[in-house]
Amino acid sequence: MRLTLDSGACMGHGRCYSLAPELFDADDEGHSVLVNPNVPPGQDKLARDAQESCPEQAITLDEA
Amino acid sequence: MSDTAELTTGGDGERILDSQAAEGLGSDLASALAVAEPQGVYSGITACPILALPGDLFVIGAASSVDAVTRNGHVRGSGAVGNTGGAKRPLIPLDIDRPEHTKYRKLLDPIFAAKKIAPLETDIRALADELIDAFIDRGHADIYDEFCAILPSTIFLRVMGIPTSDLDYFLDFKNDLLRDFPGETAATREARIASAAERCYAYFNTILDERQTRGAPGDDLLGRLLTADVEGHQLTRENILDICYLLMIAGLDTVAASLSCILAWLARHPAERDRIVAHPEMWPDAIEELMRWETPVPAATRTPTVDVRIGEETVPAGTHVSVLWAAANLDPEKFKDPLTVDLTRRPNPHYSFAAGFHRCLGSHLARMELRAALDQFHTRIPNYRVPEGVELTYEAIPVRLARPLPLVWSA
Repeated sequence: MRLTLDSGACMGHGRCYSLAPELFDADDEGHSVLVNPNVPPGQDKLARDAQESCPEQAITLDEA
Repeated sequence: MSDTAELTTGGDGERILDSQAAEGLGSDLASALAVAEPQGVYSGITACPILALPGDLFVIGAASSVDAVTRNGHVRGSGAVGNTGGAKRPLIPLDIDRPEHTKYRKLLDPIFAAKKIAPLETDIRALADELIDAFIDRGHADIYDEFCAILPSTIFLRVMGIPTSDLDYFLDFKNDLLRDFPGETAATREARIASAAERCYAYFNTILDERQTRGAPGDDLLGRLLTADVEGHQLTRENILDICYLLMIAGLDTVAASLSCILAWLARHPAERDRIVAHPEMWPDAIEELMRWETPVPAATRTPTVDVRIGEETVPAGTHVSVLWAAANLDPEKFKDPLTVDLTRRPNPHYSFAAGFHRCLGSHLARMELRAALDQFHTRIPNYRVPEGVELTYEAIPVRLARPLPLVWSA
């Protein structure tokens, strides 16, 4: 399972790094930084929650 | 509300008074929404991609339409066309489009970033405790006036760097700029708003003058604005005033309104409240869900600066679009069982802090304040209710709020 973040689409809502702080972090402006594109075991649900909670649909998740 | 009433519009977290949009929606609709559960009315609007009303006014409530307008990359607020809460110029950054918008957000976003505001949580909990101390032994209070209204305004003034002793002065500006007073004529109302706007500009000018004369800009928000370097330039005094004005009308009562809506909902749903009290780790998800359900800033004006195609309609560049976040938050295309309140709902990509590059600047501060204030309140007063025979009164527009909010508990 692999995450990608479209930084141009991120508007800094911060939903992803609140829900999944091991996968995303915040930069100094409050925008998202993808820290772990390869979702570790046990974080699948959090990865999906973060992806689907983004109001800008800036995150994609490759289930493969 | 009267048919001259304003629809509050949000964006960058703030509100704009837009009589044109309100007239489009109609005063009957506004009163139908001023109830404990307006969701049935809002959800009816999600089925239609776009409503074209006479006078070149468009209303959108479907999530896909809201996405089309907010994500097109070329959009501003009302642009201070008409009555923008008495403002003399377009508000910064809401009323300006990219690319200029970006340089202001690059300045302001770091000030309101989640990590930056996190240390304020201790202050917020202490202030919440102080407020609660004043009424807890009484066993009853108007929680709107004694808690919801004071806490966020005080924090806002601290962030700005304005003496909290000026709180009442500020609440007077804000009420004069944003509230409706029953029985007032249009001319009196206009004069009241104009006078409050003048006092507001004069207030900020005096504070900024003092700091510049002293040569001590300060390390608070006002200080940051006075010393900001934006692409090699300092901000002009007008730039600073246009930012402060927006922050004031956006920051002073949106969190107060949100707190009142959430506490009122929890008072009306004691079993759900007891669940959170037993499991306070539920707060973050519960707050997101109640923000979706209540949508305290229910609507905003957005003005695309390019033509946008929505459904069968083309919205020409420069047209005001009334964006109903409260409707988009109930769109079944976006939310499973949207008319069910699920305090553990995930995912929850709601629109309550707007969307697109005008996303509420204060959203991180608002969320943290709500969590800290609600957690502190329920630690001290876990069990409360609306007094027997009292039906809560709600306002729908420009912000949704429950006021007064009389609650009772065992002292």
